Amino acid sequence: MEVQFESQSFLKKAKSMLKVDARRMFTTPLYYIMVGISLVVPILILVMTSMMSGTTIDPVTGEEVVMETFTNTWQAIGSVSGDSSAMGMSLTGMCNINMLYFFIAVLVCLFVSDDFRSGYAKNLFTVRAGKVDYVLSKSVVGFVGGCSMLLAYFVGAMIGGGVAGLSFNVGAAGAKGIIMCMIAKLFLVAVFVPIYIAVSVAAKQRAWLSILGSCCVGMLLFTMIPMMTPLDSTVMNVVLCLAGGAMFSVGLGAVSNLILKKTNIL
Amino acid sequence: MNAIEIRNLSKNFGEKQAVCGLNMTVPMGAIYGFIGENGSGKSTTEKMICGLIIPSGGEIKLFGRAHTDADVRAKVGVLIEAPGCFPNYSVWNNLMLQAANLSIPNAEEEVRKVLKTVRMEGAASNKYKNCSLGMKQRIGIAMALLGSPALLVLDEPINGLDADGMRIMREVLVDVTKNHGCTVLVSSHILGELEKIATHYGIIRGGKIIREMTAAELDASCRTYVALRASDMEKTKTLLSCKYLRVEEDESECIRVYDAESPEEIVSYLYEKGVTVSEIGTDKIGLEEYYIDLMKQKEGR
Repeated sequence: MEVQFESQSFLKKAKSMLKVDARRMFTTPLYYIMVGISLVVPILILVMTSMMSGTTIDPVTGEEVVMETFTNTWQAIGSVSGDSSAMGMSLTGMCNINMLYFFIAVLVCLFVSDDFRSGYAKNLFTVRAGKVDYVLSKSVVGFVGGCSMLLAYFVGAMIGGGVAGLSFNVGAAGAKGIIMCMIAKLFLVAVFVPIYIAVSVAAKQRAWLSILGSCCVGMLLFTMIPMMTPLDSTVMNVVLCLAGGAMFSVGLGAVSNLILKKTNIL
Repeated sequence: MNAIEIRNLSKNFGEKQAVCGLNMTVPMGAIYGFIGENGSGKSTTEKMICGLIIPSGGEIKLFGRAHTDADVRAKVGVLIEAPGCFPNYSVWNNLMLQAANLSIPNAEEEVRKVLKTVRMEGAASNKYKNCSLGMKQRIGIAMALLGSPALLVLDEPINGLDADGMRIMREVLVDVTKNHGCTVLVSSHILGELEKIATHYGIIRGGKIIREMTAAELDASCRTYVALRASDMEKTKTLLSCKYLRVEEDESECIRVYDAESPEEIVSYLYEKGVTVSEIGTDKIGLEEYYIDLMKQKEGR
């Protein structure tokens, strides 16, 4: 009695893995809920803040303070380099597209932890000794998922700006700067997704731990986002984000691979 | 060549030693019944064979190659604990996902084939979460059968199955071994079912294999006993206990005498003592009793 073994190329394995993950990601309600949230949140933020009055009473000091609100639609996307409000704890600094990187953490962490919770990872890793294709496919699908959430936020911001009657004046950033800013932000997703995947494969089926861990690690890099992707971005910002994305994907991909290889799946 | 060859396998979870120095040999084409009490290390061993748990020490070889070899692993089908399925997906979609993981070229045809094997063709469109426990077990088997595996590792596959489900499972396992040359490693607490199909046995206790044997060896080791019913069971038991060393009453309220020469000997002895025997016959102990006896011996009871 002889058993015939067939060797499969890495490319073939990666392709089939990618097919499975894409099918899973884009046919589950979670993805559409997250994209829906990304679309609705900027509309709510822009419309609601535009309805607020300009001043409020500080409950501690009792003094009248001026409330900062969105005055321009592009503030929901970012701020020009050197704008101090973008770095601080201001409304426009916190409630813009950058907060979506945390939402992406929820999508990626739930997606990965679902593999372990359902037992799918058990079936998968029994028949697949290699883990690189798994990490690669999760990174690609997570990246695409994250990018579509960013684009949904962008569309939502445009709708919200229009409904709230905010200005669409591109100002010093210029249309080219805004396009570059968006492209840079999309590439920046490739920096965050590998972090979330590495935390998720370490946390395995504990979704809460992976989300918490991802948000904590993501928080360390959060302040970097407005610096790397200002509204007046140039090709240099795009290249930097692309390089960062590639570096993090390779580096943390190797870490995720190592975690999967050196730890128990169950 | 053996399908599974394990030498000095060990696994520690912190201070707890789940498997210690386990040696095991599963010949190709065998249905290997893996028996042991809860917490004896069965599932941990099976998970290590499947590469889901990293051993602390020792060596596992599948078909003469390291168990981490990618080509070998593609030939392993598994059902450990529960089938790993997405609850909101249909049975069909769950199987198609696994077929894609195995890069099966004609996936639809293969999925249809395995569904037919486990008699689940009609439930293909059902959502997995709406399936009964027995159906889920069958789906798990179907999933394990995808890609024509050379080795099936099944952990308690007959749990939750009805009589028909158990029969199907038996037929499937016998068919894959006899007609497709597959090797099956199956653990179960339902020893009566296991006894019907297993060709080899491995008994594990405290993370070690304490006995490995073929079905023929088991049959030879199983003692013959005389079972009887009499007019006065209490008196009969007392009388027989005086003459024979091992006399027991079983769950069907029969008296079993393990060290009698023949039924005739007992009948004449009891006749002399004024007891009439209403039923008498000889039988052999099964796997379950053999296992219980062995466990008692090991515990020194």
